[in-house]
Amino acid sequence: MPIVIQPYRAEHEAAVKEFNLRLKAGGADPDLVFFRSAQPRWLPPMEGSDLYQEFFVALDDGVVRGGYALKQQNFSFADGSMRRVAYYHHPLSEGIVNKAYAVVGSLLLKHAMNRSPLLYCLGMNGYDRPLPKMLVRLGWAHCLVPFYFSIVQPYRFLREMQALRGSSGRRLLMDFAALSGTGWAATRTLRAWRRFRAPGIKPFTVEKVDEFSAWVDPLWQETRSAYAMTAVRDSATLRTLYAASDQHFTRLRIRRNGSDIGWAVVGERRKDEKYGAMRVGSIVDCWASPEDALPVLRAAADALEQSGYDLIVSNQSHHQWGRALEQCGFLQADSNFIFAASKGLAALLQPFDKNQSLLHFTRADGDGLPRNF
Amino acid sequence: MTPTIFEQVQRIASDLFGVPGDQITRESSTESIEAWDSTQHLNFVLALEEKFNIQFSPEEMDQMRNIGSTVKLVERKLQNSPR
Repeated sequence: MPIVIQPYRAEHEAAVKEFNLRLKAGGADPDLVFFRSAQPRWLPPMEGSDLYQEFFVALDDGVVRGGYALKQQNFSFADGSMRRVAYYHHPLSEGIVNKAYAVVGSLLLKHAMNRSPLLYCLGMNGYDRPLPKMLVRLGWAHCLVPFYFSIVQPYRFLREMQALRGSSGRRLLMDFAALSGTGWAATRTLRAWRRFRAPGIKPFTVEKVDEFSAWVDPLWQETRSAYAMTAVRDSATLRTLYAASDQHFTRLRIRRNGSDIGWAVVGERRKDEKYGAMRVGSIVDCWASPEDALPVLRAAADALEQSGYDLIVSNQSHHQWGRALEQCGFLQADSNFIFAASKGLAALLQPFDKNQSLLHFTRADGDGLPRNF
Repeated sequence: MTPTIFEQVQRIASDLFGVPGDQITRESSTESIEAWDSTQHLNFVLALEEKFNIQFSPEEMDQMRNIGSTVKLVERKLQNSPR
């Protein structure tokens, strides 16, 4: 009997639980768990909503062999058009522990492609993982979304950044740099130098707001065509993504001479062993015209520093936002955050080599929400 | 002479899997062609869709385990597609 892919319903929950147990028993990464609940807890489908998630399962005579999720959302393109694009995420196949089901991964993707010809993936933890490997072989357009970090507390960074303390030699070096103060001096000097060399920023004000409201909309309309592609970031969308009831986020409104120039959403990143005991803040999402990226990011970074974070991180796809982060003293490191576009979507982004640095994608567009916060 | 459906499918499979066309038979399958893995299977299906202007469901894709069943599926799709 062929494998059938259907919307995930409550009647499948027991079978999904069994599926998750088989993955665990097969030695899969413990983080690889399909959604226990058929109803998305975040962005469930609602009457009249343009922004929602859908879950699907692959059924083999009633036994779940895999599943995936789609986030359906409107996107704006440089030509002013708006289109519905789906974010394909959390695909899981029993093929990762049992080769008899190796085909499930491609069946899941085919189902998603049939459902939403305009499809993207974001994140995926690097090109050595199965999904990005498949997408590259399928001819999807792809690029890395650059990753930036700012060391707020050099001592803590040098002592806790596990990703850099992989050998005894490195640990010794980093401990020396921490204890002698040379690490502090070096990072502070570099940051000050970058900020010194940055263009002067005209005065701006920053206000923490409890929720996004109508002031977002004129700014959105005026600036959206500056980007080759961006998720719609109007007030209704932001109220859904960053609901006032969600205490994880700090919402910032940035103005100059009384006019809105941008906004940012910052928050604490979920604990990750690579960061050790550090408190890591993230510039989760942000918006402005590219020319105003610098004051918005300065506001976001300052807010996180004042909240006592040891390290601040951000992924930004647009080259001007990346440059602005560097002008704020951020450093760039290797990224494993990949953007991949289906052929249908890539056709709207030609020439891709040029437009890839004009996309506006942040952590919030991928696996950053809500898992990492 | 217009190539048959089988010949067209054979050509696509040959190009995709890197196997000489005359070695692609109706019995050729995911078991007998080393390069025919799950990702290339999807590429194969997408190439057929583009060539014949049809769309396969995942269930149909899962039935295409060899060239013979693939050809039959394509022929059925073309017979049923609106003119």
